[in-house]
Amino acid sequence: MATRKARMSFAVKRFKGFWNQFSKSKRGVAGVVIIVFFSILAVFAPLIAPYAPIDPVKDAGKYPGTTTPPKIAERLCSPAWYKYLPWIPRGPTQVEQSFWTNVTEHGGISFVVFGDLESGALAEMKDGIPKATFDEYRQNATEHYMRLNRAATEPPQLEIIFPNGTHKQTEIQEDMWDSRSPAAVGGIYGTSGYASMRSFINDLYEDLGQDLVYVAFKVRYQYSRDITENMELVPDFQFASEETFNNEWDWATLTGSADLRYNNVEGVDNDGCIEITYDPKAGEEESTIVLSKQFKYPYWEPPLSFWGHVSVRVQGKPVELTITMQKEGAKPVAIIELLREASTSYYHRTIYTYEDAVMEASGSLTPEKIILPSPGNYTFAIEAVFTGKDKTTVYLDDFNLLTYGNTFGLLGTDNAASSAYPRDIFSTLVYGTQVSLIVGVLSAIFSTVIGLFLGLVSGYVGGITDEVIMRIADLFLVLPTLPLFIILIVALKVVYGAGAVSMWNIIIVLTLFGWMGFARSVRSMVLSLRERPFIEAAKAAGAGKFYIINRHVLPNVFALVYITLATSVPGAIITEASLSWLGLGDPRLASWGKLLYDFQSSGVAVTRGLTEYWFWMFPACIAIAVLATAFILMGYALDEILNPRLRMRR
Amino acid sequence: MGLKEYIAKRVLYSVILIFAVLTVNFLIFAMMPGDPLRAYMARVEVHTNKAQYEMLRHQLGLDKALHERYVDYIVKMLTWNFGNGMIGGGQAVVDQIMQRLPNTLILMGLAAVFSIIAGVLVGVLVAHKRGGWFDTATVTGSLVTYSVPIFFIGWLMIFFFCVQLKWFPLGGIQPRAWFRNPPTNIIEFLAGRISCLVLPTFTLFLFSVGGWILLSRACVLETITEDYVVTARAKGLKERTVLYKHVLKNASLPLITSVAMTFGFLISGAIITETLFSYNGMGLLVWDALRGGPAPDLPVLQAIFYVIALCVIVANFVADLLYGVIDPRIKYG
Repeated sequence: MATRKARMSFAVKRFKGFWNQFSKSKRGVAGVVIIVFFSILAVFAPLIAPYAPIDPVKDAGKYPGTTTPPKIAERLCSPAWYKYLPWIPRGPTQVEQSFWTNVTEHGGISFVVFGDLESGALAEMKDGIPKATFDEYRQNATEHYMRLNRAATEPPQLEIIFPNGTHKQTEIQEDMWDSRSPAAVGGIYGTSGYASMRSFINDLYEDLGQDLVYVAFKVRYQYSRDITENMELVPDFQFASEETFNNEWDWATLTGSADLRYNNVEGVDNDGCIEITYDPKAGEEESTIVLSKQFKYPYWEPPLSFWGHVSVRVQGKPVELTITMQKEGAKPVAIIELLREASTSYYHRTIYTYEDAVMEASGSLTPEKIILPSPGNYTFAIEAVFTGKDKTTVYLDDFNLLTYGNTFGLLGTDNAASSAYPRDIFSTLVYGTQVSLIVGVLSAIFSTVIGLFLGLVSGYVGGITDEVIMRIADLFLVLPTLPLFIILIVALKVVYGAGAVSMWNIIIVLTLFGWMGFARSVRSMVLSLRERPFIEAAKAAGAGKFYIINRHVLPNVFALVYITLATSVPGAIITEASLSWLGLGDPRLASWGKLLYDFQSSGVAVTRGLTEYWFWMFPACIAIAVLATAFILMGYALDEILNPRLRMRR
Repeated sequence: MGLKEYIAKRVLYSVILIFAVLTVNFLIFAMMPGDPLRAYMARVEVHTNKAQYEMLRHQLGLDKALHERYVDYIVKMLTWNFGNGMIGGGQAVVDQIMQRLPNTLILMGLAAVFSIIAGVLVGVLVAHKRGGWFDTATVTGSLVTYSVPIFFIGWLMIFFFCVQLKWFPLGGIQPRAWFRNPPTNIIEFLAGRISCLVLPTFTLFLFSVGGWILLSRACVLETITEDYVVTARAKGLKERTVLYKHVLKNASLPLITSVAMTFGFLISGAIITETLFSYNGMGLLVWDALRGGPAPDLPVLQAIFYVIALCVIVANFVADLLYGVIDPRIKYG
């Protein structure tokens, strides 16, 4: 016992001494702090990250009868704290936008073509608009293109400028522009405005009677921008509490004798619901009742989309149900109309923004812009219309409407093609720490152990063993690693499919090709140690090979082990990230490299992605860089302490 | 051992390396469990039948014995017969590679030359003023650039120099306007090509310069305390002469070994840099082979790997020769 205690205290003393040395190196301490920070992130990721790293959903399992629970947010949301930035435009603005189209070249397929206008093509233009003007148009067109995909609140006014300099102002007919995308003034193939816009331009073309090559457009319209956030209109959508119901909901019988009450025994999980009864008096044929809820929509921009749900059970005759949204002082807009017949079980209806029923009921291709067009007080309601002379009861439960804004979470959401649901980037980032640390540390440990073993064997045994090991090491050192890794993982993918690649494959590959450098330096150290007197003395005393390696060689090499461990982690982390970046990582894991691969392959143009969606890729890049740097810094500090030659002379 | 013998030994070693690479390449295919061709066909084509399968098997020579296939493979590779890939419209893989190899070599060569020169100069300077603020800053900076993933550097370059400042074209190997009106004189041509080369080269440069600074600093620190350096100083030589003539000369041997190794290191950076900048080189070919078709094009990737490995082996060979010429101990040892 006593010896153990003594040993312990010796170990503590040794560690203290080491730490004294180590803490003198600011770089080393910074590295250790960062590593500890990331380790905490990795270990407590499920607690720190608010959402799942893959396919996160809101209230999973709470909405019965739907296989697709609501997403947590819309795709490509900006971070929630954008609302505190004063320079983000909030409110209506008058926008004037210019773009150009090449009629003769693209006349057959699509009109409005954004992008580069080659300088050579400009030369073909007849004397008319000066090049500078045209360049300016082009610039504006590319820059504002995406912004215009947001809500426009009034139809564009067109001003067409022809190559010869003539202007023509015109009001553009409604069927020529798609309100969902005012940038696509008749331009994008497949929209309804396409054909009419084409004939419109053709008419102009004939009127002018000239060889029309390029047309520059100027569009003016009202347009508002704002930071919008997710809203849940009915927090207690399961109607579990009567008090909440009484406080939040309002109801009115418009005609007839239909009545409404809170029922605390019925409902989908028998946890309470709303019961609407129609008990017609003599001669009564029809009754309408409205259940409504007031709320304030504070944003200048409509939500990006919405998601709704309602569960209904009808006893008796068919009932007409209409979910509506009404702005104060405006006409109500129907979101969906449902005709329900009597049934024994609940009918669950999930409502999506762009489903046919919703577009039909609201009379718009962009229902979200019709139902919540501008800030103000709104009434969200469900209207039940009863007809006939029979007693009818309607049970209403799980009634909710979620609207999705354009900001969410700490770092916004992504638009990954690989994920069915948009992910919370912050959560993905936190979970990614796990992968990077596991891959980095494990492959560093494995390759260091293998390197140590082979180096010791090679150096101490010598002869043909040494020759074979070192030649293999040389071969592996010469092979360009990344292309080789790519081949190995692709081979795996080709045979077993994309799902076969796992984190462990990457660890194995990294280990397999990571031991050579360390084996070499261990070998050279062993070679020089072997000739030292103390080894000869041990030999003379009759010590065996294993004993000498274990007791005399290993302790002398061990300083190197720590340094190599620390310095080979970053390489592994970066290689893993690079492989994932190329799409060769584990497709089921949320790793940093995968995050960046998703960014790269999401179809968001790099230029826009880097500026508008910086929060998607920069944090992950910085995380990789910081973690890798931390290990390098720690290794470097260790090197300075454990390698006496590098120690500072005083 | 004379120089000739030394060269002969290195040649033999390089040939063995080439064969080893080919064998590794072959083994990856040969050791695949199951039937890769079957799996591949299932992935690529909608309908397959046995006749098609047999025909392909025969065409690819997969029905032969393993050793025959090995010999076939070696002969094919040595005669640069890589077949036709799925990408690039069925163009011969050799042509695709040879079209792109010079671009990659230019990119990597420039990055290597700049980073070696800058790295060694800065490294010597920093080692000389060891412990000062400049040393601390440079070493920390090098450690950071050394451990930053290259796609981050590349994205930063694009962000600052293409998106914000608009100094350089976004990507490609030549200005886009050249599709319509190609350059008329050599100056225009060079200017266009260079403008497209600047950012990828700078990215690769930043990626590798940190390693060079650290390495040359370490090498110089090892020799700067040697007696002959003290002697040189005692003779009253200028500090610069001492540093660059006496110290660097002796510290340069491990550096030369690293020059050879840097090729293998740079190629992994180049694959990603080229993808980022759509620079039409081997790296972009790798990307195309990975993403271009319905399934990753393994034979093309293997051919690329073979050619890259060949380049690395040649570079190593040249460096070994240089080493032999420079270091008298090897010549007469």
